[in-house]
Amino acid sequence: MIEVKNVSKTYGKKDNAFMALSDVSFTIPKGASVAILGKSGSGKSTLMHIMSGLDKPESGEVIIGGRNILQIKQKEIDRFRSRSMSFIFQSFFIQANESCYDNVSLPLEIADVAPSRRRAKIESALRAVELFDKMKSRARDLSGGQKQRLAVARAIVNNPQILFADEPTGNLDSTTGAVIEDLLFDYNKKNNITLVVVTHDSDLANRCDIQINIKDGKIDKITGGKK
Amino acid sequence: MKTRDITIRAGRSLKKAKARTLLTSLAIAVGAFTITLSLAAGDGGRAYTDQIFSSNADVRELIVTKEQPSAQKGPQKYSENSSNIATPFGSTSVLSQNDIEKIKTVSGVIDVIPNYNPQVKYISGVNQDKYIATITIFSPNVTLEYAAGSISGNLSDNEIILTEEYVQALGYKSSQDSIGKSVIIVADKLSAPITNPESKSYTYTVKAVSSKSGLAFRSQSSLLISEDSAKALYDYANIGTRNYDKFLVAAVRVDNAGDAKIVKDRLTSMGYFAQTAADLLGVINTFINVLQGILLGFGALAILTSVFGIINTQYISVLERTQQIGLMKALGMRRRDVGRLFKLEAAWIGLLGGSIGSGLAYIAGTVANPFISKALDLDDIYLLIFNPLNIVLVIAGLVLVSVVSGILPARKAAKLNPIEALRTE
Repeated sequence: MIEVKNVSKTYGKKDNAFMALSDVSFTIPKGASVAILGKSGSGKSTLMHIMSGLDKPESGEVIIGGRNILQIKQKEIDRFRSRSMSFIFQSFFIQANESCYDNVSLPLEIADVAPSRRRAKIESALRAVELFDKMKSRARDLSGGQKQRLAVARAIVNNPQILFADEPTGNLDSTTGAVIEDLLFDYNKKNNITLVVVTHDSDLANRCDIQINIKDGKIDKITGGKK
Repeated sequence: MKTRDITIRAGRSLKKAKARTLLTSLAIAVGAFTITLSLAAGDGGRAYTDQIFSSNADVRELIVTKEQPSAQKGPQKYSENSSNIATPFGSTSVLSQNDIEKIKTVSGVIDVIPNYNPQVKYISGVNQDKYIATITIFSPNVTLEYAAGSISGNLSDNEIILTEEYVQALGYKSSQDSIGKSVIIVADKLSAPITNPESKSYTYTVKAVSSKSGLAFRSQSSLLISEDSAKALYDYANIGTRNYDKFLVAAVRVDNAGDAKIVKDRLTSMGYFAQTAADLLGVINTFINVLQGILLGFGALAILTSVFGIINTQYISVLERTQQIGLMKALGMRRRDVGRLFKLEAAWIGLLGGSIGSGLAYIAGTVANPFISKALDLDDIYLLIFNPLNIVLVIAGLVLVSVVSGILPARKAAKLNPIEALRTE
């Protein structure tokens, strides 16, 4: 369960101050799929960064698994992120020069998973996104859809509890985008993990259990969730 | 993140930018090359002078002369007991028998051997041909190389060490053949009137033949006999002359090399000019050290330049990989580990550069050694000595320098805000 309580975030100082989020509160139950929906500049990315501990708000609390992640040390947040969270980005951010295997291996290395236990995890993640045969290929040789599938493999390899996806289909055509969506929602349902999708695409948002609409740094409305 | 994983990732990202890595390493390699060579040259030079000294000088011996009047200003007043010998460098005070006896009483002195330098008329051997020769006193503490025979301890009276050149000239088939044979040395009595010359022949048994050495300053015409034999020759030749029992120099033997300095101080306070073998070695070694220092300075300068190269390369690397750093931090990589990643990259560059430079220096030095020795006529002595420990230290030092150079870029990477880094467009 993720609880966001009265979070406010301001960028800039004094005259140039810009309020990215103001007094945002909501609760996401464990295993839910949530869409954070809003236009460009609405503050939806900032909200994701705060929920994942990458950014710190001026005020408010983010409680994950009973702990306020804004109160714990940077080292603890890093450890928490490496073991319990993962990310998928619009621009993939895969390492083009590395093999698929090494790309997927990165989160395991960061999380200090013993080298002997990595191979099995990497292979099963690549199998899940149907890139097992590309294991030794360089990431730059993959197509756009394959690259994002590789990013999904990297995101799921360490069995995260929460998966953040920032415009995961933004750089893909509708067919390949649909494949990625299916992968994410399947994983969400099968493993009962929390999926947080940041998007401005309402079709994608509608596939989620809960839609949180953000407008000018405030919650416009929250739909779904009460099943 | 484990050091092993970081090291592998650091190596991998360097492999991606092969040309850049190699060029940055080459800058360090220049420094490593210079430093490795100058260390080798210093070691080689010092070993060479050590060898020269053990072949020519005795560390338990001091060379003593009377304090030189040239050290004083203006002409010297004549006095009845002053005795001088004219040399090309001016008039020189000499050591009298009196001085020799005085020096013998100095504590620590075992023996004083005046430089007899007996002048002989000629030497002849089996073929009766007569040759001019220089006679020198044998010292058991000077290392000699022998072509035949050998000496353990001191040389007995009426024994002689020939050189290879004399073996042939005197008519022996080989050095080995000459051992045990007799040679005759004839000396003139210098005080005899020119109208009635007197001479006497001395017979010596050939005990050994010294071989030519790139180290020995001693000329090939210098033959060695014992102190007493030399004194006998000297006495016969010089007795009755003005210069009898007056010596330019005397060798003072001490118990061990450590006493040489103390005895030197005692002799100096008595008004003698004494020099130990270490003094002479020290002069040459100082010269070598200064030369080595200059070379090392050039190497250090090259490394200083390469430091900026590393800093620059690593800054560019951080800028290029902003997104990668952002991703790694988003995935929970700690700041410390991000910093370590870049420092280890710098370490790899240092290792590569150091290895290339030292390796090339080793190869170049090993190839050049025979040519240098040939050009300087050193026979089988090599002037460049590569000490493996030095090479390891040079490489380790350069890895350290590289890591230090990598600190600033690494800090920049560690401080990178992942949100900024991951912002698209």
